[in-house]
Amino acid sequence: MKKRIISTLLCTAMLAATLAGCGNTTDSAATANGQEEVKTEVTVDAAKETPSKDAVTISYACWDSNQANLIRTMADEFEAQNPDIKIDIQVSGWSDYWTGLEAAGTGGSLPDTFWMHSNNIYYYGANDQLLDLGDYIAGSDNVDLANYPEGLNEIYNIDGKQYAVPKDYDTIALWYNKTLFDEAGIGYPDDTWTWDDLKEAARKLTKDDGSQYGFCAGLHNQEGYYNFVYQNGGEIITGDRKSGYDEEATIAGIEEYFSFVKEGLSPEIYDDQARAEAIQNGLCAMGLFGSWNLSGFAASDFMKENFDCAVLPMSNEGGKSSIFNGLGNAIAATTQYPDQAWKWVEYLSSKEGQERQAELGVAISAYNGTADMFTDAYPMFNAKSYIDMVDYAQIRPYSNQTSVWEDKAYELLKDAYAGKEDTADACIKVAEMMNQAISEE
Amino acid sequence: MRSKRITKIKSSRKTWNEWCWGWVMIFPTIAGLLILNIIPIFETFYLSFFKSGAFGKGNIFIGLENYRKMFQDAQVWYAVRNTLGYTCLVVPATIVIALLLAVALNGKMRGKGIYRTIYFIPMVAAPAAVTMVWKWLYNNQYGLINYLLNRLGIDTVNWIDNPKIALVSVSIIGIWSTIGYSMVLLLAGLQEIPRDYYEASNIDGASGIRQFFHITLPLVSPTLFFVLVTSIITSMQVFDVVYMMIGVTNPSYDSTVSLVYLFYNNSFKYSNKGYGSAIVMLLLLIIMLITVVQGKLQKKWVNYM
Repeated sequence: MKKRIISTLLCTAMLAATLAGCGNTTDSAATANGQEEVKTEVTVDAAKETPSKDAVTISYACWDSNQANLIRTMADEFEAQNPDIKIDIQVSGWSDYWTGLEAAGTGGSLPDTFWMHSNNIYYYGANDQLLDLGDYIAGSDNVDLANYPEGLNEIYNIDGKQYAVPKDYDTIALWYNKTLFDEAGIGYPDDTWTWDDLKEAARKLTKDDGSQYGFCAGLHNQEGYYNFVYQNGGEIITGDRKSGYDEEATIAGIEEYFSFVKEGLSPEIYDDQARAEAIQNGLCAMGLFGSWNLSGFAASDFMKENFDCAVLPMSNEGGKSSIFNGLGNAIAATTQYPDQAWKWVEYLSSKEGQERQAELGVAISAYNGTADMFTDAYPMFNAKSYIDMVDYAQIRPYSNQTSVWEDKAYELLKDAYAGKEDTADACIKVAEMMNQAISEE
Repeated sequence: MRSKRITKIKSSRKTWNEWCWGWVMIFPTIAGLLILNIIPIFETFYLSFFKSGAFGKGNIFIGLENYRKMFQDAQVWYAVRNTLGYTCLVVPATIVIALLLAVALNGKMRGKGIYRTIYFIPMVAAPAAVTMVWKWLYNNQYGLINYLLNRLGIDTVNWIDNPKIALVSVSIIGIWSTIGYSMVLLLAGLQEIPRDYYEASNIDGASGIRQFFHITLPLVSPTLFFVLVTSIITSMQVFDVVYMMIGVTNPSYDSTVSLVYLFYNNSFKYSNKGYGSAIVMLLLLIIMLITVVQGKLQKKWVNYM
């Protein structure tokens, strides 16, 4: 009998213990209108009265570790001025960033502030994930959208609501290994170069034994064939939201870009990271890289010693272009501290913050007139070529759900890239896929 | 008559008590299983009939549309082929090697502990980190494996970018990283076998090989069955190695993409969770079929002592 009592007691105790974990949350939810509410009110009041005591932490998510290191410097300066706000910078890789952000959005736990990109702005903005910044901008002394390029503002404007403030912009330039050029006795690339010049130089810089290639034509859109398409007068997406992949000029541009691989002037490179490696270990003499690579390249002694950049070559008919894009700083609609989050974004978007960003060389600031400060941050390279291309640069093509068709386009193009399929056939398949995807947006 | 009734009540009280205890003991596991496994299975099944809206809101019922699309999607069939191919490459190789190692390490040998640890280490290391190292080993420009092959006078092998080889390369990582786990389980099974059988067969003059096939193999078969079932299920769910090693731009993508990888891409990259759910239901169905068949076949070869 005694034993049974003990066992029943133990039984109930264990049940209670196992249930306790879940019990707590349901309890507080169920009695949310009772004492619980009073309690939270008290804590909120306490926080208001002593703001410096328990500072609010604002998370800031981004996908570029090179930039994040420099932004940390800015965050430290910001924290010094605003002792009641702490900035927590969270970095993840490009594709993990977007899958993670979507999962966070679904779960209602987006970071307070984060980077926005033209590929994804519509998806987030149109689905109520972002805070409309219109009123904040109107009430701010430091932020005026007129100070940013119109094209960049437009990217983040959906139905008249401004969901992000431009942070920076980027273009693509041609990087070349000066040492290898000198060895081969070829003049450095300049703004008179055409596709023919590029190919001619690539031929001279390629060694037959496969130890050195003239050009690095990796399978990449923004830092690759998109530039050739627009130089050739083609387009990826048309004005009336159709795929441009089946246009003759587009196919010819892609064909020209792929021809470097087919003629053995470039290795076949599919991996994003492998492209930078191919340049940095001397395998390739030339390559296309976006301005966001500058801080990483400047940290490499090999790059500083041997490399420089120039504007992209033009098509043989004289068509000039460079893919132009910009990031924006956005605030989550679900943030608990919209005012503090805005303070941070306001700082990043102010003249002061944008100049600091340019000075540190984080990226080319979006604020009009800060470009020179950025080029000054990289005296070892001809960083001005990135800015020179803005006049004729083409905004990175995007639709409402760009990421859906962009990766699938790679899947359909890779056989043509490897020379196993006719480029025109592959492009027509991409166009069909893309039109289908856009119609479902 | 009366005393019999009392004992009956007493014994039923005792069973009741044991029954109660049993449930208390397994309650945490049951709760975890329900919350993390069973409920999501039904939710996924439910979601597979919808066109999922952005951020989990506004799902639209489309009936069997996702399934119709799935059966017409060539990539899904590539993924089925690759997943089964991966399993066929990994599971038999792992089990044979693990069993041989387990038998070897079960005998008298110096430094047994160290060997066991070495074989088990890959299981402990994070798959993503392991894959990054293998990616470097496989690199066709400056990878260690190709360097060694070149030294031996063999041409460079394009381990990752060649669609014909990539699945084998992925499988090698799979085999390498699961041997240790299977080996430890088999080792435990081997140690259950009473020494008497071996002593008796020694007296009868049986050779080591005969002992292996007539004593070891039959008596370790229950463990072997467990290892077989679980490693097939894990292999069918292969994701991280393929994901880390082969991106969508890679020419080997179609010949290595696994069902879980395809599910991931559709659900999270292309934000089409309904379609992703349908793919996972297909995987569930395949795994269920294989497991049921294995359960039926076990009577033919598994010996329970």
